[in-house]
Amino acid sequence: MIIGICAKETGLNSPVADRFGRAECYVLFDTETKEARTIENTAKNSASGAGGRAVRLLDENGVSVTLAPELGPKAMDAIKAFEISAYSYGESKTVKEALENYEAGKLEEFKTNSTESHHGLRRV
Amino acid sequence: MKIAVLSGKGGTGKTTVATNMAFNFKGAVLVDADVEEPNSHIFIKPRVTGEKSVYKNFPLVDMDRCNLCGDCGRFCKYNAILPAKNKVLVFKEICHDCGGCEIVCKRNAISYEKREIGKIHSGKGLGDIEFIYGDLNVGEVSGVKIISELREMVSDNEVVIIDSPPGPSCATVEAVEGVDYAVVVSEPTPFGVSDMKMVVEMLENMKIPFGVVVNKAGLGNDEIYDYCSGKNIEILENIPFSEEIAKLYAVGEMMCLENSKYSHYFENIIGKISKTVK
Amino acid sequence: MDINEIVVISGKGGTGKTTLVASLVPFLENPVIADCDVDAPDLNILFGETIRESKDFVGLKRAVINEDLCTKCGLCRQKCKFNAISEDIKVSFSKCEGCSVCEYICPTGAIKMKDCVVGQVFNSETEYGPMVHARLIPGEETSGKLVSEVRKTAKALAEKTGRETIIIDGSPGIACNVIASITGVKKTVIVIEPTFSGLHDLEKVHRLVQNFSVDIMIVINKCDLSEDGLNAIENYCKEQDLEIALKIPFNKDIVKSVSERKIPSLENKEFFDGIGFAKFVEWIKKTD
Repeated sequence: MIIGICAKETGLNSPVADRFGRAECYVLFDTETKEARTIENTAKNSASGAGGRAVRLLDENGVSVTLAPELGPKAMDAIKAFEISAYSYGESKTVKEALENYEAGKLEEFKTNSTESHHGLRRV
Repeated sequence: MKIAVLSGKGGTGKTTVATNMAFNFKGAVLVDADVEEPNSHIFIKPRVTGEKSVYKNFPLVDMDRCNLCGDCGRFCKYNAILPAKNKVLVFKEICHDCGGCEIVCKRNAISYEKREIGKIHSGKGLGDIEFIYGDLNVGEVSGVKIISELREMVSDNEVVIIDSPPGPSCATVEAVEGVDYAVVVSEPTPFGVSDMKMVVEMLENMKIPFGVVVNKAGLGNDEIYDYCSGKNIEILENIPFSEEIAKLYAVGEMMCLENSKYSHYFENIIGKISKTVK
Repeated sequence: MDINEIVVISGKGGTGKTTLVASLVPFLENPVIADCDVDAPDLNILFGETIRESKDFVGLKRAVINEDLCTKCGLCRQKCKFNAISEDIKVSFSKCEGCSVCEYICPTGAIKMKDCVVGQVFNSETEYGPMVHARLIPGEETSGKLVSEVRKTAKALAEKTGRETIIIDGSPGIACNVIASITGVKKTVIVIEPTFSGLHDLEKVHRLVQNFSVDIMIVINKCDLSEDGLNAIENYCKEQDLEIALKIPFNKDIVKSVSERKIPSLENKEFFDGIGFAKFVEWIKKTD
């Protein structure tokens, strides 16, 4: 199984990212080989819909579980549609810490949208 | 003749100038193209007799034909369509309606459905002013389509005054394209001059003749006059700062209607423009 | 280190947002200043900046036609939904939305989507601390992306130099760029005027801000412009449990200070003392 974690830099010691779709990169951890590699988040500069595109990127890289700070409603829809499980890394500071907390069963799975729909909000 | 009224930023008096010009220009049609924040109607107080919706398309996917190849999702620059494991997600509010997904789909699985992005209202207002205005719906990103439909509603042989969106945005470009003359409304402060410069640059690029109306004259300093004389830009009028005008604005009343002593400012602006354009 | 990020926004332009930000800055300890009002970037006028560094800002890709390969068949013009291609097959950059349909359908491969520089982001030095600001080429759309870029640059600067406060002059309105101005800040100040649209503007921007977990303060500028307008805003604030931090009456001396490129709160100390500015500054600085 491959776990994708939103990160600011490469490698397991990287701090976790503040955003999901516009995270700098994703650290991919293979639970069988215990190996980690980092991919650049090619979705982060999208004008819109970065969250959905980031989910597609994770799917293309075989990710089945993702650890994230929060998920927008579009990213949440995409997570469901790609059948990926997503967990909030809560207070974890680094990728390694987030992984340890996940493996210890301490992380909470995203059930509903953690943020309100905001994209394109112009007139309320 | 088409005249656009614009400003470097919001709050300089653009709507005041546009509505009062229309009020003093016999037979002119006033178009409020500031569709994100249409305010002219507050002053014009129209009896709305016509209303139409403006639509944009979004894709619908026929899942009997779709084989989830992913081509549409890879093509879409806005990430508005996203083929997943066994369905295709469509985020219609970020779709630009470019038609790309239909073109790239090899199985003809995509068609379009329309959704309303705003409305255009028309009617007659105070002083019998012929008036149309656009209003962008809650949550919509771009009003450009509404502005372009507003422009199609006026004929070339009418006198049209367009209250444009503020600032040098692409909505402003859409509103002022092809006009015969532009009126830039600014304030005599360093902020006013700085904000105005970007709009001036835009008008110069578009090769549209323009002049400046200094609103709240007497409040700031002479920088705006130095700038305009340096660039050979005509000052059409100075509308002095007055508490009465500010208070009338605050409660949504047209200054010329409340007090005819203000009319000469706008007659003067119209006179100068008529000389330049004809 | 936790950075105290404060943003000042308004429902529409011209309410005095920039003047308020400029008046706050001298009272903050070691702030980084971020001007996210990229349509009207005016803070530099009062702070007299020296630009240290600038970098290009790349927006959406746009269509570029290779004249040597183009046969003027007109297919691109026919398929472009944005009327961005003229009769003589030239691309209007301000109309092109970067969809790349023309690149895809061009039978001779004459069209390529290319990165376009649409503005610049600056790192500047002012008397009161470093400032990050931006400029767009006129006719380009203000994007949330540019605002995010300014904020990211400001945050990196604060982290690097150990500064704990970032004061942000936000974008007016309620568009995407405003959302980008607010995301992740601790405090939001909303500047509003008691005009016919003041209450309406406040309601809209308040509804937007409620989506974020931030502390909100209201500042009513030119509060003596309309009594009815003021009452309407005050009632709304009471109903919604919003705190009114400042009520600023109209004062020609403020405009005069701005015209002389001076900071109003330093030039008109008595006036600012009279409206309780010091208390407002304390709230801005509070970090718990």
